[in-house]
Amino acid sequence: MSYPVLKGAAYALIQGNDLALYQGSTAAGERYTNPDSEFLKELPAHWRSFEAAVAYPPNQAYIGNIHPRALREIPRPWYENGLPDAKTEGKYGTIASEDILYGLMKAVDTFDLVLLDETFLAPLKEKIAALPGLSQWKCLEKLDKNPADLAAITEQVEQQHAEPLYFAQQLIGCVKRAHEYDAALTAHVLTENLVAKASASFALQQLLNKCELKAEQVDYIIECSEEACGDMNQRGGGNFAKSIGEICGCINASGSDTRSFCAGPAHALVEAAALVQSGIYENVVVLAGGASAKLGLNSRDHVKKGLPMLEDMLGAFAIHISVDDGVSPLIRTDVVGRHKIGSGASPQAVMQAIVAAPLDAAGLKIADIDMFSAEMQNPEITEPAGAGDVPTANFKMIGALGVMRGEFERSQLPSVVERIGMPGFAPTQGHIPSGVPFLGHCREMMLAGEIHRAMIIGKGSLFLGRLTNLFDGISFVVEANPGKKAAAESLDGLTKTRVGLVVLGSEHPVCELVHGAEQAAAADPRLDVVLIGCGDSGMLHGVEAADADAALKKMDEMLASGELDAAVAMHYAFPLGVSTVGRVVTPAFGRKLYIANTTGTSATERTAALVRNAISGIACAKASGHPQPTVGLLNLDGARQAERILRQLAENGYEIHFAESSRADGGAVMRGNDLLRGVPDVMVTDSLTGNVLIKLFSAYSSGGSYEALGDGYGPGVGEKYGKVINIISRASGAPVISGAIAFAAEAARGGLPKLAAAEFAAAKAAGLDALLDSLAAKPQGTAQETVAAPPEKVVDEEITGIEVFAIEDAVQLLWKNGVYAAAGMGCTGPVVMVAREDHQRALQLLKEGEYL
Amino acid sequence: MSMLEGKKVAILGDRDGIPGPAIEECVKSAGADVVFSTTECFV
Amino acid sequence: MDLGNQQRIKDLCDQYGNEDLIVVLGGAEAEASGLAAETVATGDPTFAGPLAGVPLGLKAYHMFELKDEVDPAVYDEQVGMMEMVLDVDAIKAEVETYRAQ
Repeated sequence: MSYPVLKGAAYALIQGNDLALYQGSTAAGERYTNPDSEFLKELPAHWRSFEAAVAYPPNQAYIGNIHPRALREIPRPWYENGLPDAKTEGKYGTIASEDILYGLMKAVDTFDLVLLDETFLAPLKEKIAALPGLSQWKCLEKLDKNPADLAAITEQVEQQHAEPLYFAQQLIGCVKRAHEYDAALTAHVLTENLVAKASASFALQQLLNKCELKAEQVDYIIECSEEACGDMNQRGGGNFAKSIGEICGCINASGSDTRSFCAGPAHALVEAAALVQSGIYENVVVLAGGASAKLGLNSRDHVKKGLPMLEDMLGAFAIHISVDDGVSPLIRTDVVGRHKIGSGASPQAVMQAIVAAPLDAAGLKIADIDMFSAEMQNPEITEPAGAGDVPTANFKMIGALGVMRGEFERSQLPSVVERIGMPGFAPTQGHIPSGVPFLGHCREMMLAGEIHRAMIIGKGSLFLGRLTNLFDGISFVVEANPGKKAAAESLDGLTKTRVGLVVLGSEHPVCELVHGAEQAAAADPRLDVVLIGCGDSGMLHGVEAADADAALKKMDEMLASGELDAAVAMHYAFPLGVSTVGRVVTPAFGRKLYIANTTGTSATERTAALVRNAISGIACAKASGHPQPTVGLLNLDGARQAERILRQLAENGYEIHFAESSRADGGAVMRGNDLLRGVPDVMVTDSLTGNVLIKLFSAYSSGGSYEALGDGYGPGVGEKYGKVINIISRASGAPVISGAIAFAAEAARGGLPKLAAAEFAAAKAAGLDALLDSLAAKPQGTAQETVAAPPEKVVDEEITGIEVFAIEDAVQLLWKNGVYAAAGMGCTGPVVMVAREDHQRALQLLKEGEYL
Repeated sequence: MSMLEGKKVAILGDRDGIPGPAIEECVKSAGADVVFSTTECFV
Repeated sequence: MDLGNQQRIKDLCDQYGNEDLIVVLGGAEAEASGLAAETVATGDPTFAGPLAGVPLGLKAYHMFELKDEVDPAVYDEQVGMMEMVLDVDAIKAEVETYRAQ
């Protein structure tokens, strides 16, 4: 048995200003009761342009161009802070305009119910066919059928009960009713259903465009919107799913619809996971289109408060669930929460049922879940309407549940909310915000090793259907994939990863270390922890040793014999050329940061050591599951020169991804702020500085004598080093020890020694040795003679990037070439200052002299 | 004695605040007579 | 406040009178809760629904204000968690103003 995986996620947004005014329930209700209302007249004045909707930061988060947490950095109101250069095309999806939707509605309309004015339609055809993937839609030929003119459309609307379609407040088409008196086939109902079908088909096409899935591979589709299709004899007969699969050419798929108000998508995903895990189907797609009725839902309040009509976006998504590929995040079908009929309706009863109960059953705590995604409604939409910040309320409820269970102190609530949550970014489209918008980001964060577990929660208000007062909710846990090999091992019960822990020599009692080891073992069933230096604990096997030295010797023997895959010790004499890459949790956003390096000596020359540390750090991050770690160099002596060498390596073909400082001036040289924020994946430092940093990040909360945070000083990494030995300190407490054991296991599973050898080989192929050799013969010697200064000028240009010890020599070099220059200290390090007119020439000279 | 004792109570709950049924339980415990209970939903 | 609910409250007030009928609110934040309290007391200030210009004179309380009036165990079980989630003081202060008028 293995878990199903979250193989792909795609999203679509379509603007619907006119739909909101004519089909949205709020405006339609107003038109019914008060056709001449001021509100209806005023609403179009609050419409956003398509460009403004594209630039709207929450929409960019929805299609994957920014992370939802990036919204924390963007000042509210977001509608006044649109992103410059925002694109309609995103990592996981796309944003389309309303005219496209009308074209799609006509294309997916099998029964010739949609009429569009030929003058409106003609220019649209090309626009639609040019959208990625859409040229494959056979149904696009529908756009050429049943041409209509305005007179025919007007007659349909005025005489035949057709639903009018407007664009920019001009009548451009209509949807005809499909029956004379059948309430399930009125023009209004059909319009809603065609909007849902068209937008869901569009989202499915995004999935096929952006992910590995091919249309003919889809075995089953579950549609989970909030619409109903059928006729008067079976008003909710269905099947949206197959009608949508048909559009995208999923000829091998069957499907069906699942409903539970806003909780529908979470139910559908659990069902999809079950269908895959049982082996019934291999590739299941869960999808839903948008709800035209909910456009402008709270627009009365938005108009009253002078906001734009923010509810102008139809949302849609398509999620691919498939069999374990050894990479994609797992759907933990054994950690599923459900609101039971007998659970009760109070908020705590609901949260107990959908959050606490499944975690308890799996032996997990709230703290074991890195992020939660509940109802991700954009607060900018809901707050003016009096519904508050719905996602934050959910995160607070989860935190409060933790308080009531004794997991956190009440005073910790704000930090828990910060850690587990993110700002809401989804349109208020009912089922759309409910848990699923985060799945694309979640998948990427897990592939990058940024989070390990996330809980996806759907909640629904069943009482709106007037059949029951019951509430509804369902949840499931997504977990990073440990990899095929590890998964197979644990499933066969054969070889687990064996990590030894030397328990002697700490400033804490032995029981503290044993406790850490037990925590690590409990958190990972694929882990065997062996205690070295004491007897068996209640849970773990122990190997006795007389003292710390004897324990280290025993550890070495066990590593050599293969009894252990990795080990954790408080001290180890690594050879020259091997140093450790530590890992901490940075305080600003709780990001994990690799610090390269923290103990040991990778090279005797400082700059060479920094360069080697960067390569070790990359190897280590890769072993822990970051395929493309970003690298930043802490702003220390030698960093500029090390950066120059790394950039030269990159130019010569060594793959390295530089991080960009979060400070305004950017660059790969990292400031203190970047440390706190965990900006790069790998922070390069010398090992003395790294050692201090680890201690700071691990013990700032405890007063220093107890290291409570992070994963310790990390494994020793070297070009030809074959063992995985992770270092902790004598002050490391149980949480750090547990983290260090997990870190060691990751390094062993990830094949760190081999990866390190490969990284160094690749760097050497790009000229590492020659570049490091050139350091020994650096330009210090060239400027031994004293040069007279050229006539003094006003120096107003700064040149950064030169090492502090070479700064005077650089000035001399410029003087020698007749350029007046002065050394100084800029805000990020030493600078050479020259006059504006000399700037280009100075840069040139410094480059030639290898100062830059 | 609770001020709710013997009173007729109309409940306007909120899906994202306190839902109607939760309020019902509370006011019934104080001897009120619930004559109407609903839950509003803004999302 | 939902227009359908305005009509229901109006009918109930006609039936039971504004002395015997109490409205209990569960709103998620202060402004909306205050708006509901105002609507049932002095009429719909947005002039959108059946209570526009109809001062029923009903007293409305938010559930948080009735903590001491109900069984503490029931309150804890049904409402306790939301005290940690919502801005209790702001909601109470806002709703209270409309009873004083």
